[in-house]
Amino acid sequence: MNTIILAGIGAIFGACGRYAITNYGKKNWPSFFPFATLLINLSGAFLLGLVFALHVSPFLYALIGTGVLGGYTTFSTLNVELLGKLKDHQTKNFFLYLLASYLGGLLLVFAGYYLGKIF
Amino acid sequence: MSDKVKNYLSVGFFAFFGGALRCYLNNIWAQSGTFFANVTGCFLLAFLTYFFLEYREGRDWLATGLSTGFVGAYTTLSSFKLDTLKQLLEASYLPAVTYFLSSIVFGLLFAALGMLVGKKVGQFFTRKA
Repeated sequence: MNTIILAGIGAIFGACGRYAITNYGKKNWPSFFPFATLLINLSGAFLLGLVFALHVSPFLYALIGTGVLGGYTTFSTLNVELLGKLKDHQTKNFFLYLLASYLGGLLLVFAGYYLGKIF
Repeated sequence: MSDKVKNYLSVGFFAFFGGALRCYLNNIWAQSGTFFANVTGCFLLAFLTYFFLEYREGRDWLATGLSTGFVGAYTTLSSFKLDTLKQLLEASYLPAVTYFLSSIVFGLLFAALGMLVGKKVGQFFTRKA
């Protein structure tokens, strides 16, 4: 099957998972910091590093890597939330969220990659 | 149908197109495709968020599907991180740092632009309605 269709199918599940976690976070977690998006992005980065290191077939990679994990993590929500922190003059939370997402994501993609290399 | 089910169906439906479009851009432009999807997605999400704050038309599932579903799946943090990892593993440090920093700067810039335009367009439609 075409990789574009596979990525689309995977994205359905990734996005619904993200939506479920975000909804859960809105109800149960403190609202001063976007914990839900951070958890989603960090766990997604870790898993993608892992999947990449396992050298799965291009079809499986399109479905799981590009589709599910690509659709699960989000760059746009992160930036709109960062913008919100700037607008509300929450400078400390802005930098904390920025560093945690960008540097934390990079660390976790490496962690997933080296874990996958072991197998 | 309950609102909750409606929202999930809408998120899934629109996510298919967001993920497929990102994959298509990735197929033709490789890493630049992900970058393009991410920055344009920042504009789109900010636009939609601030547009629907001004212009409440009642169909919550549509706003949720377009923003959380389509744009959320269209943009990605994990592939962006993986691209950076690949560059670092290949020891191309300058491109890695450039890609990393430009994603941060352009992501915020396009989100700010989307917010301004979305507010304006939302106010325009609200005045008309």
